[in-house]
Amino acid sequence: MAPLISFYFQVHQPYRLRDLRVTDIGREDIDYFDHEKNRAVFRKVAEKCYLPANRLLLSLLQTYPDFRISFSLSGVFLDQCEEYGEDVLKSFQALAETGRVEFLAETYYHSLSYLQSLPEFCEQVRKHAAKIKMLFGKSPQIFRNTELVYSNELAHVARGLGFKGILAEGADHILAGRSPNYPYRPPSFELPKDMQAIIRKHRTNANEKRPPGRGRTGKTQNGPIHVLLKNYRLADDVAFRFSDKSWVGFPLNAETFTAWATASGGHCVNLYMDFETFGEHQWEDTGIFEFLKTLPRLWHDWGIKTATPSEVIDAWLAPHRTEGTGAGGEKETGVFDAHTFVSWADIERDLSAWRGNRIQEAAFQGIYALENAVKETNDSRLLDIWRRLQTSDHFYYMCTKYWNDGDVHKYFSPYESPYEAYRRYSHALCDLRARLEKCRR
Amino acid sequence: MSVHTLMFGWEYPPKHLGGLGVACQGLVRGLLKHGAKVTLVLPHGEGEGDEGLNLLSPTETQRHTVRVKSMLQPYDSPESFSKRVSLSSIPKGGAGPLYAGDLGAAVHEFTELSVEMTKDVSPDVVHSHDWMTFGAGAKAAHYHHVPFVAHVHATELDRTHFHPNEWIFAREREGFMKADHIITVSQFTKNILIREYGISGDKIDVVHNGTTDAPQIAPITTLQETHPLILFIGRLTVQKGPFHFLEAARIVHAHLPNARFVLAGEGYLLPELIERSCSLGLSEDVIFAGRVTQNEAKSLYARARCFVMPSTSEPFGLVALEAIAHGAPVILSKQSGVSEVVSHAFHIDFWDIEKLADCIITVLREEPLALQLRSEAVHTLHRLTWENQAARVLSVYDKVRTRF
Repeated sequence: MAPLISFYFQVHQPYRLRDLRVTDIGREDIDYFDHEKNRAVFRKVAEKCYLPANRLLLSLLQTYPDFRISFSLSGVFLDQCEEYGEDVLKSFQALAETGRVEFLAETYYHSLSYLQSLPEFCEQVRKHAAKIKMLFGKSPQIFRNTELVYSNELAHVARGLGFKGILAEGADHILAGRSPNYPYRPPSFELPKDMQAIIRKHRTNANEKRPPGRGRTGKTQNGPIHVLLKNYRLADDVAFRFSDKSWVGFPLNAETFTAWATASGGHCVNLYMDFETFGEHQWEDTGIFEFLKTLPRLWHDWGIKTATPSEVIDAWLAPHRTEGTGAGGEKETGVFDAHTFVSWADIERDLSAWRGNRIQEAAFQGIYALENAVKETNDSRLLDIWRRLQTSDHFYYMCTKYWNDGDVHKYFSPYESPYEAYRRYSHALCDLRARLEKCRR
Repeated sequence: MSVHTLMFGWEYPPKHLGGLGVACQGLVRGLLKHGAKVTLVLPHGEGEGDEGLNLLSPTETQRHTVRVKSMLQPYDSPESFSKRVSLSSIPKGGAGPLYAGDLGAAVHEFTELSVEMTKDVSPDVVHSHDWMTFGAGAKAAHYHHVPFVAHVHATELDRTHFHPNEWIFAREREGFMKADHIITVSQFTKNILIREYGISGDKIDVVHNGTTDAPQIAPITTLQETHPLILFIGRLTVQKGPFHFLEAARIVHAHLPNARFVLAGEGYLLPELIERSCSLGLSEDVIFAGRVTQNEAKSLYARARCFVMPSTSEPFGLVALEAIAHGAPVILSKQSGVSEVVSHAFHIDFWDIEKLADCIITVLREEPLALQLRSEAVHTLHRLTWENQAARVLSVYDKVRTRF
């Protein structure tokens, strides 16, 4: 039997900083964010990607009743929808109404808070889950951390928060020859008591109980968690290589791609990618929309099924889909053992894209050092500003590992250089510190 | 078969320590390392060429120096050259009465003798450095039936803030037109040739200058000193942007009253700059260090919390690489060639004084930033060797010889 194909699209926009100056620091009510720029980027991507891609997806969902997709929409993206694009929000809600689209959970601010503060992380996850529930009517069941940053411990935290699945990069060094096309589980261990206490505090509101009757673990709130792994080879064929003329696979058509996907075997092929792949990273004239349009038809004709991450796990736990071992055979869920962090970034697949140099580390430590002071103010606006500064993109823009001299390259950033990113960010930090100082007095 | 290049230069160490002479020597040595044969023709006055020969390292024995008698005294410094040429031409244009006559005659004689002096040489390519030698190069190339490569280290427009001496501008343009191919020391200069001289970009390749500065970063001991030092080194001419440095100093000083600003170098703007620093109320905070020796410069770089190069039009800007070699974080004018190769730096438009000041303040305030700029920028030096850059010049030779 052919594996299930599971699409998940990441949708996110950061709040980029404006050209802050030292003279702005301490000024009354200074705004850190470049609304003009943020609006312009949002509208550009909306016209090139979000709106046309959602139109296409809606028609595909209407035409092919078995077609399934999933999204993770960051909270700051949803905030920007409210500011810059109700039309975009509505287009996602129209997809949700088909009932065949799953929305995943993530940190509201697309942050790396998990690395620094568990309470802050839990609050952001809870805030995001509530937002998704409010906008799309369902509490998310599957968690994905920012940039697929993942570790064993995080899997257990997500389990504790009530999620039944978590996404991760199918990193070769952890899979060690095994296929990414199966659900895995983290190694079993108990989290320290203090962590458990923090998680318990946030679980109650974060997630409703698992819906009953969904597999064997549905009956307990803290059932095992499954890890779904991105098949980065196949996903990146679409996301990165689709229009690369020097690639042997060019031009990629739907038939070939489907043949590769089914040939990769296993239980599920997880195609996780940025939604901007459609129309923004790969422009319309590359034929990316045609490609996307052809897939469901082809899969319908060939009897290939798609599934959301939740359905992938349900199918794995359902007795009738045991395969390879003959009818009635017990399936073994393998262990995905990430004792250090993995992510989907760069070839290193570690944290170095955000915490790889001195300025990134200074910025990162600088923002989290303010947690207590910010929370003590009980000022929701300050809290929101502080959290928007946690968005991982700010640190990504300060990355210098590919900032090769003389080669001002593919690196995507709204700023001129990593140093410019840091200049603006450090001014914002200085000002925020000054504001908090004022509040304290 | 190794290529034989017949070069026409104008200055060469130790007689001249301007950027042109240094670059010329670096390139010659780089070419020799690749096994190329180099014949260098210099227009030294009587007895003036011997030092140049004595400087040769053993590997340069292939090099011949052909001396051409010239009426022109070697420049005592690049400053006086710039001063003579630009001051005489800014008011009216045309050949200035004081010096251009001498210079013109010298250039004329160098051109006239170029064939005579080199008729026993059988080069594969002729390569000239800047406008003074273009006539000689073109003439010799024609005689030897080989391609002519014009190397542009600086244009008249850079030196004169776009108020060129028309006679020199015309000599430059004539050289560019006659050249089979042109090498510029930066994309910035290439753009000037295209935009201002009407030269087709197809016949221009960029070969950035190399550097011989080995990183000599001293351990950090003085980052939090009471009087952080912000450094400018360069001739005090319009081209180097010293006024922009002073204006930025005023803003920085308002935020960091302890900061000290050093301008090292001499030039005709000195009296005006002193006056300006007084009127900005910075007489206590700005130090005019005058012309500094190599060693004095080194110690300034090592002490500087930040080095600023606010040039208005800088074909390359070797001084920035020296600063980097000694561990100073740098802020570079975008109107410079060196900013194309140093990406671990702040790049500003020279006229954007407020941004410049903001960058200085940020570098002084944020230690992690200063440390990172300091430790990352030096990698540029490892890549930008004269051997690597000479290899690029050789591939330009290959290209023009195939097409010729």
